[in-house]
Amino acid sequence: MTTDLRCYGDDIQGLADLVPDFDLRSPMDVESWYPREWQAIADTLGFAQQLAAAPRAMPTTPDRITAMTLVGLMAFEHALRAGRLGIPESQARVQSAVIQAMTTAGLERGELWRAMVDPTTLATGACYAEGGRSLRAFYPDTAPGYFGDGWSGPPPRAESACGWQTPLVLHLGTFPWVYSSRLGDTGPGARWASSASQPALEGLHVVASLLEPATNLRQDARQVAAIYRHFATHTAPLVAALPSFQPGRAEAGRLYRRGRFLLAHQGSLHVAALDGPRGRLAASAYNYILRRFASFFAVRRAALRALATLPFEVQRRAATSADPCLRQQVEGVARAS
Amino acid sequence: MRRGIWMALGATAGIGGALLVSRRASAASSAAPGTTPETPPTIELAGLPRAADVSGDLVRNWGETPVDLRPLLMLTEETARIRGASRVLAVIAYRESRFVTTAQNGNAAGEQDERDDSRTAYTNNKDRNPPLRYGEQAAEFGSGGLFGALAPYFLWTGVPEIGKKAPLLAAPPTLVFQPRAAAFGAAVYMQRLLSQYRVDDLADIKAGWANPGLLGKGRGGETYLSVRKRFLEDAQTVGIDLADVDTIPAKLDASAWPGVPAVFAGLVGALPKELS
Repeated sequence: MTTDLRCYGDDIQGLADLVPDFDLRSPMDVESWYPREWQAIADTLGFAQQLAAAPRAMPTTPDRITAMTLVGLMAFEHALRAGRLGIPESQARVQSAVIQAMTTAGLERGELWRAMVDPTTLATGACYAEGGRSLRAFYPDTAPGYFGDGWSGPPPRAESACGWQTPLVLHLGTFPWVYSSRLGDTGPGARWASSASQPALEGLHVVASLLEPATNLRQDARQVAAIYRHFATHTAPLVAALPSFQPGRAEAGRLYRRGRFLLAHQGSLHVAALDGPRGRLAASAYNYILRRFASFFAVRRAALRALATLPFEVQRRAATSADPCLRQQVEGVARAS
Repeated sequence: MRRGIWMALGATAGIGGALLVSRRASAASSAAPGTTPETPPTIELAGLPRAADVSGDLVRNWGETPVDLRPLLMLTEETARIRGASRVLAVIAYRESRFVTTAQNGNAAGEQDERDDSRTAYTNNKDRNPPLRYGEQAAEFGSGGLFGALAPYFLWTGVPEIGKKAPLLAAPPTLVFQPRAAAFGAAVYMQRLLSQYRVDDLADIKAGWANPGLLGKGRGGETYLSVRKRFLEDAQTVGIDLADVDTIPAKLDASAWPGVPAVFAGLVGALPKELS
């Protein structure tokens, strides 16, 4: 049986091809694909040194993918602890609790990539106290942006102590760029750290878990495809306006497109940016976000191909998924076997 | 780094006699020293170094310094053997270029003063320095690159130490847009400031960057004080704690300087044959 992703749209197969294809049943493929992804994440988020210094194997788990996730997260945690503390402790504690709640609910609904919640239903109300005031722990991200056309959503059912008028929306699949706007060179989520709490770690954990077959298959890929398509629609004209990179003929400091990705020749990808009607988008953020979409579908394809070898519980969840494309693939696998 | 730098550094370095001999030797073999003989060739130096290329820390006390520029700044510190230089250079780069590698002061209509500065720098110093192959272009260039180097001084980088063997004499001023070359110029300049001038603290480095004269007769004056104040404000804006002695000593020390050729090799490597 041929495993393809066309059920999600003709463009999705090409998206997955932006990163190398791999076979989950091949230890060699797994050993090369995942470290490469972690390297790309670490390069952009600035913890490449910590990743290089991390142990190559985790004695607590025999599963290679889980082990690499733990290694990557440990490296990120070390970098967070060494870096600048970005937020007050009270905010960090609330953020951690909120992300955990949203992750649990998002996983159940198959909407982990873009998680949404009525903040007034949360124990903390997504509010934290500072200087005698109650403040929102996250940015209310409902204006038109690169991930969506803007949506105020149903208003909170209860009155918010810190003024929430909209649902709380976090694009955890592209953490630390968790909002549809504010796509600057440092993702807002990268600042989510205090001396005692690291909500940023929980954010990156979502990114990592979406690369694991079990969690990847629980995500409704139609949601990811729709957000990707929105992102692609609003960035394509900006990227198309850039010159194509030609080795030996490039101009220092200029931003180029190389394939679907961006390259700042002799310059900083974090400083270079696309400027469009939806706002400024750092070139580093663009590359990272595009790669997150591509990696998600590359793992989806690999997981579908290896479905029969995955644990029974993973297969069962896939067979009963709300995602019709996934159910269709599972049926195809069953027929073929 | 804009005004009066080379005169001050050159004089202090005591290079006069040797340099004069070399200049004459170079002039004799050059068809038109200091003129623009040809269209500059395209130079392609290695790209930005990566985290794996350095051993120094790239996370602690960097503030908002772009992640992909930190290895370059750290490589500069490690190659020049000036502990703490990377974060100080980050603050300087923020002021001079906002981290844009191709920043240029002098290419806009309203920047005649920068072009005047580079013209003056070239005119006043060309007779006592080795000739620049692209001298006229340097004179018209103004200043640029990550660290805001004035073009003629950038191309004369290393002359006080190694005379006509200085590596950029045949390079065009646009080379300053390549971050490794800009970092080489900055490393040499910082070393000269630290070894030739009275530098009391970190802010004095920025005063000397603006004009070495501020570390001498200008010390304590209005400009000296304002440059220092702005440097301290810039450090705060970028988020670099200048008092974090684990990453930045209270005073930088260039006594382990390995020499211009070693720093050039470590940061830039080799220029194309026609420019070397």
